[in-house]
Amino acid sequence: MRRGAVLALALAASGCVHVVPLPKEAQVHRAVTSDGWGLALVRYQAKGKPSGPPVILCHGISANARNMDLDDDVSMARWFAAHGRETWTVSLRGGGDSDRPDEASGRPAGFGFDDYWKKDVPAVVAYVKKVSGAAAVDWVGHSMGGMVLYAYLSQGGEGINAGTTLGSPTRLDWGTGIEGPLLKVAPHVEGLRFTLPSSLGAHAMAPLEPHLDDGPLERLFYNPQSTSKRAWQRLIAYGTADISSGVLMQLAAVMRTGELKSADGKLDFKKDMAGITTPVLVVAAKLDRIAVTPAVKDGYRALGGPKEWLLITRANGARGEYGHMDLVIGDRAGDEVWSKVLDFLNRHAPKEP
Amino acid sequence: MTALVLALALAAPQVSEVHVSHRKVIAADGAALALYQYSPVGGGVGRPPVLLVPDVGFGRESFDLHGQGLARWLAARGALVFVAELRGQGKAEAAKGLASVVSVDLPAIVAAIRKERAEPLDVVAHGWMGTLVLAATTQELKGQVRRVVALNTPVLAEVPSELVGSFLAGGGRLSELAGSGKGAHDFELMFAMASSFPPRVLSALETNGVRDLGDGQAAALLGWMKSGDLPLPPSPSNPLSGQPNSTPFDSAQGEREDTVLHRLRAYDRPTLQLLALADGWASPELCSPLRELSKAKVMVQTFSRFVHGNDYSHASVLLGQQAASTVFPRIDDFFLAEEEP
Repeated sequence: MRRGAVLALALAASGCVHVVPLPKEAQVHRAVTSDGWGLALVRYQAKGKPSGPPVILCHGISANARNMDLDDDVSMARWFAAHGRETWTVSLRGGGDSDRPDEASGRPAGFGFDDYWKKDVPAVVAYVKKVSGAAAVDWVGHSMGGMVLYAYLSQGGEGINAGTTLGSPTRLDWGTGIEGPLLKVAPHVEGLRFTLPSSLGAHAMAPLEPHLDDGPLERLFYNPQSTSKRAWQRLIAYGTADISSGVLMQLAAVMRTGELKSADGKLDFKKDMAGITTPVLVVAAKLDRIAVTPAVKDGYRALGGPKEWLLITRANGARGEYGHMDLVIGDRAGDEVWSKVLDFLNRHAPKEP
Repeated sequence: MTALVLALALAAPQVSEVHVSHRKVIAADGAALALYQYSPVGGGVGRPPVLLVPDVGFGRESFDLHGQGLARWLAARGALVFVAELRGQGKAEAAKGLASVVSVDLPAIVAAIRKERAEPLDVVAHGWMGTLVLAATTQELKGQVRRVVALNTPVLAEVPSELVGSFLAGGGRLSELAGSGKGAHDFELMFAMASSFPPRVLSALETNGVRDLGDGQAAALLGWMKSGDLPLPPSPSNPLSGQPNSTPFDSAQGEREDTVLHRLRAYDRPTLQLLALADGWASPELCSPLRELSKAKVMVQTFSRFVHGNDYSHASVLLGQQAASTVFPRIDDFFLAEEEP
């Protein structure tokens, strides 16, 4: 209640950026995890003859399913559906219309990255398979949405036919300078269970964005060569989510150690990625300042294969350089990124009988 | 009036006097190389001399252009600085390939420097040529290099982009990229992406600071990128070369081979690895595995526009608008650190 009031105040103060509703064809679903969390899913039926398994699009940290369907112009979900793939978006626990932490309902705050890959991904994959009737699904994950794919597959996760990661790092100790603040704070909040209200800050920034040139968010998240201010403004107005302390702590550990492991340190995801045999396309953006290209390539190298590497840059034919969010909401991403993802997935689709 | 003159004098940058000299160095196979020396007042006593090695296709201008650059900057802070031009670079003899850089050129350059100062050097190694410097420290220059700053030095070689692949397949004609149009566009994508330079510096670099690779060197570099490794010939200057313990490994065919990749696995110099995100020539993702691959203690710093105001490219990391305030002090601090990093 209190959180809702604060959010309402922030939005009111921000001038209430218009939330574009989902399109009519979007079908809202709900999967339930083994530990009782409800996850919001949205289904987009394929246009024309379906060309392969259903595709699940998964957002990154501090984000929700609306990253994948922002409005009529910027929608990876509708793009894939229009190109013959039944498409699903998901909000991982705590984000979008999925269940929030609620102690009284048995959903404690402070969940971690391990809960995403161990509980959310299996629930989503099973649900989509059941509803669609498909034997397996394809997974496209942005940033942390690709990291959960790596973790899931590395521990023998089933039901994925092929995957793509977009700007997904497996190592975060690159001395970029953005690690510093989190690593300083992490020891002081270790063991605490809380939710960082990161979306509030984003909401408050939304109305200012069209008036800021070369601001800090632009420098960190996107490149105006590739993403319009309007798309970015909408993304931070209704495409963001709060961050659970457990997720934050696990990522801080990745920054500190250079390793990608479970919270208890017993599972070494990156090492185990060598055993992955699911085909994976790894996509990096040249000017991604969050998942820098060395961090993304690190994951590519760790994969067992089959695997492919795709660097989005003008030197490879793109018309502008891409940053972290441009892979998902870029003006030309359909032509320059998603079409290559679809081509990869189609090449690895099961042969029709 | 006196007050004005005094005020102007105080406001002017305090530049220490640096004496610059140049000499020809003849390598063991007779090839002529070039060595530039930047001597500070006092001769640079009290700290190790610093050798700067430019990348393939570039020359001294990478480190000294229009009076700006790392060479004069370090010398002004008391370091005796040398800039090498190996075969194919600047005023040095033309190159037919790359491998002799390791076995012949670098030993000749370091021998010439050691006539001046016998102590181990600090080295700033740039790009693909820089990788060959790292390789040479494991044999030809063993015991002669103290610390290394590796500026986008590829470790796991690949063709960084379609553009670089087609540029090298066409002979690596850097001189044709100067000016405007497609050439300048390609130069920007490979060497100067997302970069700002002081006035006239970029055009001067394009015009005077590059040299065509030539078919031989371009083919060697492209072959290295495509195969992931570069075979190295036996080193005539290294007394260990050819002895069982100095040769690297038995290949699947049972032959003894020496390659850059093998050398990098044995590399052990304390290293500051600086990664420029916008480098389209020696892309950072090709350089980053040094700390896993080698035996060296490697500190990594990645420049990004969010924190450092600039992503930096291949050229701007040395000659960009903010290089002297952001990059150079990091290099100097690393060399001056009392304890081994």
